[in-house]
Amino acid sequence: MKKFIPFFLLATLFLTACSETSTNNKDWTEASWEEIEAAAEGTEVRLYMWGGDEGINAYIDDYVTPQLEDQYGVSLKRVPLDTPEILQKLQTEKQANKQDGSVDVIWINGENFKNAKENELLIGSFTEVLPNFNDYYNTEDPAFQTDFGTKVEGMEAPWGKVQFVFHYDSEKIVNPPATFEELQTWVSQNPGKFTYPRAEEFTGNAFLRHVLYSQAEKPSDIYEQPLEENDITPTAERTWSYLNEMENDLWRSGEHYPNSLTELDRLYSQGEVWMTMGYNESRAESLIEEGVFPESTRSFVMEPGSIGNTHFLSIPFNSPNQPGALAAINFMLSPEAQLEKYKPDDWGENTPISFDQLPEDIKEEFESVERGESVLSTEELEESFLPESEAAYVDWMKEQWFNEVVQK
Amino acid sequence: MKLFKNRTFLLFLPVAIFLMIPFYGFIHAVIQSLGGEGLAHYEEILSSERFLSSVWFSVRTAGIATLVSIILGLGFTKFFHPLLTNISPRLMVWIPMLFPHFVWGYMVILMLSETGWLPQILAAAGWLETPSNFPVWTRDPEGIGIIITYVWKEVPLVILLLFPVYASIRPEYYALVDSLGGNAWHRFTTVDLPHLLPVLVETFLIIFSFTLAAYEVPALIGTTFPEMISVLGYEWFYGSSWDDRPLAFAAMVMTSLFLLGLTLMSYYGLSRPRWRAMRGDRQ
Amino acid sequence: MILRKAFFLILILLFFVIPLTALLLQSLSAPWRFHTGQGIDWGWQGYSTLFENPQLWEATFISIWIGFAVLFINVTLGLFTGKALASYPYRGKAWLEALLLSPILIPSLAIAMGLHLFMIRIGLADTFWGVLLIHLVPTVPYSIKIFHNSYQQIGKTMMEQPHILGAGFWTQVFTVELPLLKPAIRSLTFLTIVISLSQYAITALIGGGRVLTLPLVFFPFLENANTSIMAAFSIWFALIPVFMYIIIESLMMFLPYSRLPWRNHR
Repeated sequence: MKKFIPFFLLATLFLTACSETSTNNKDWTEASWEEIEAAAEGTEVRLYMWGGDEGINAYIDDYVTPQLEDQYGVSLKRVPLDTPEILQKLQTEKQANKQDGSVDVIWINGENFKNAKENELLIGSFTEVLPNFNDYYNTEDPAFQTDFGTKVEGMEAPWGKVQFVFHYDSEKIVNPPATFEELQTWVSQNPGKFTYPRAEEFTGNAFLRHVLYSQAEKPSDIYEQPLEENDITPTAERTWSYLNEMENDLWRSGEHYPNSLTELDRLYSQGEVWMTMGYNESRAESLIEEGVFPESTRSFVMEPGSIGNTHFLSIPFNSPNQPGALAAINFMLSPEAQLEKYKPDDWGENTPISFDQLPEDIKEEFESVERGESVLSTEELEESFLPESEAAYVDWMKEQWFNEVVQK
Repeated sequence: MKLFKNRTFLLFLPVAIFLMIPFYGFIHAVIQSLGGEGLAHYEEILSSERFLSSVWFSVRTAGIATLVSIILGLGFTKFFHPLLTNISPRLMVWIPMLFPHFVWGYMVILMLSETGWLPQILAAAGWLETPSNFPVWTRDPEGIGIIITYVWKEVPLVILLLFPVYASIRPEYYALVDSLGGNAWHRFTTVDLPHLLPVLVETFLIIFSFTLAAYEVPALIGTTFPEMISVLGYEWFYGSSWDDRPLAFAAMVMTSLFLLGLTLMSYYGLSRPRWRAMRGDRQ
Repeated sequence: MILRKAFFLILILLFFVIPLTALLLQSLSAPWRFHTGQGIDWGWQGYSTLFENPQLWEATFISIWIGFAVLFINVTLGLFTGKALASYPYRGKAWLEALLLSPILIPSLAIAMGLHLFMIRIGLADTFWGVLLIHLVPTVPYSIKIFHNSYQQIGKTMMEQPHILGAGFWTQVFTVELPLLKPAIRSLTFLTIVISLSQYAITALIGGGRVLTLPLVFFPFLENANTSIMAAFSIWFALIPVFMYIIIESLMMFLPYSRLPWRNHR
């Protein structure tokens, strides 16, 4: 054992050196905005977010980063990491009682938010201090109060909102289905031309929840009821029989479901299937531009409606630069940043901002943005809007779909 | 020779320190898999049908991929090793080794999926009616895509590991077998095999354990069901329900113990005197 | 022999060269859709999107540094251990070899997850050094294997001779062993660097996004339907080991007896 002694000595040295906790314990969520802005100036903010879309990346890199530098003197650093991995990291850091972490801002919603909140991985309620949130957003909007059934309680600030749509090639399909029943008929008439990603996948799961909504008496039976208190057996039965009836006519006879939305997109891009889908009403624009999707791509929604949700920004419990994080989030919520995000050039995503609370000139600018031909009109989207159900349904769907559809 | 022995001990010192890294991590993983509840998590996964079917699928897929890689690599090295002494053919053989596994998996999808280059070219050339008539080789329930990716990627590794051994076999041995009236098969069994066997066994262990436990390729190119054990473990670990995490650790610990056991048995078998003698006089 | 050579060439072309060429062509053109009758639409779009990503260069440099550091430690550890193993008596050797192989038998994600807490406590998490250490786990067993085999090929007599002639330990390493180990070092360069470049999960965990390596930038893009960008990225991945190999090869020129680099291992 003699040979290990030096190593242990070294390790103890490290341990003692690091056990001094940081003294920066000021609660910034109680501070005044001037104080926060002053403290934020000249600091670095690390934004951790999923990095698989060049459009989104370009919006952050080419617009948000330089603007933040100009307006707040904050230098933003984008780190591409998936949210579950970030939360895993935060949880271990919490276990190790590391108060001085490396993540300042995370992009979060749904079940990730639920996990983060339940495990106390966030700094707490902070949206009240953000001037832009209070000025330009309808703070009472139910979409900002609950996130997939979890109470938000000011722990995350709404950054964007998206709605689920289906895409089709208007050269191949003249009249896309208008209800889920018509979809079933369409699939049986066009075998092999439709499929959906597996339930573990975000988009696939959302598709399946649409089917669940459509098989319920009315969609609100699902989204207004927590899973535990809800007797959904009859609805579930109908859902599985709907899916199983369809299965043989799916692409590759339902023997394989795409592992990811990308896989489905690629099939659509090659004309192998005739429809794709996605949890973002305008995402086809950039794909058409890049030549991945055919130019004749359009989108549609079906009765009883299309699910939409809000996604948020939040701050981890051990962010080393809380004032900087607050300043960055405040900027990303600002009308000009939202307007830029709304334009189809980079991201083209819808905004959670409240148009009624905007100054006239910015409001007009928002209204004059041409979102592109593949995007449905705002009225149509709002008309079909359905809120998300409780996060527990997502898990329930993952498990049940595997047992009831794949293994049968 | 006393001095030499002491130094041998000193030479092991750095690696002993290094080994503390994985062992510490492993012990910690074992602790997490127990989660203060004894073997409950192990019982849970062992009675889960999903887990058991993924074990069978993983062992079978990894086993086929490993055996095929070794056979092809062995054949290739045996047949072509004189050509490999030149640097440029050797570099060409190593092309797949330049790419990480997940990149090569992506490449296989690009080439062989229903929408891939090969079906497209065959369809454009008129040999297939439409690209979708191409057999389903990626994301298929039989694991063909996984096997293709691994074989393609591992054959060069097998060549890399076997080539130095082949290069070191003295031609005199073959001459001896010939003069004693042996045929090609005799040459292989009496000269090649004794030289190669330890390396072959090691190669098998290395590739098998990698293909059994690696996550990226099956995640990319596998299908919904059946799934590889690593994919299941990853889902348990990063999935939305954090209660499943000990299950992920339990699955990984069991995989490790199985592989460690297999390795020990193989080495024990190899160290038996018969193989020592056949391994030649180098020691 | 000519037939064999032709056969060899066909195999190599079919399985190794043509796929690489196709990848190269795809990286230089828009996504292919041949069956629709479209031809190839050439362009640099794949690469330009790649280089627009401001993280690409940072990630590339960090990956290269980590690669070199991992390689250096691997050569050192492999050299010592391989040498020790080659002169180790038989008793218990099976156990020892299994022990040395064990780091690649345990799924590296399990190791990394187990180590994360410890790394945070001693301040190695989120640092270059932490990532370096965790990258040693899936690489060192290979190095030991390769060096062990090489030392066995060199043979005991070759090792005893300089000792008898009075060479010191380091003299022997630099003048006799390293020149003879060149093929092994070459294989190692490829192996360790590519393995290090392949680590997504454990780098993300231990590096925590602070240490940005190439797979961290690449992996999210696997969800991208644009094959040109992905092809360009794949090519970029392969260029790194080639670049590093060239550097190592030129460094090895400084070793003694370098005139016949790949023929003197017998």
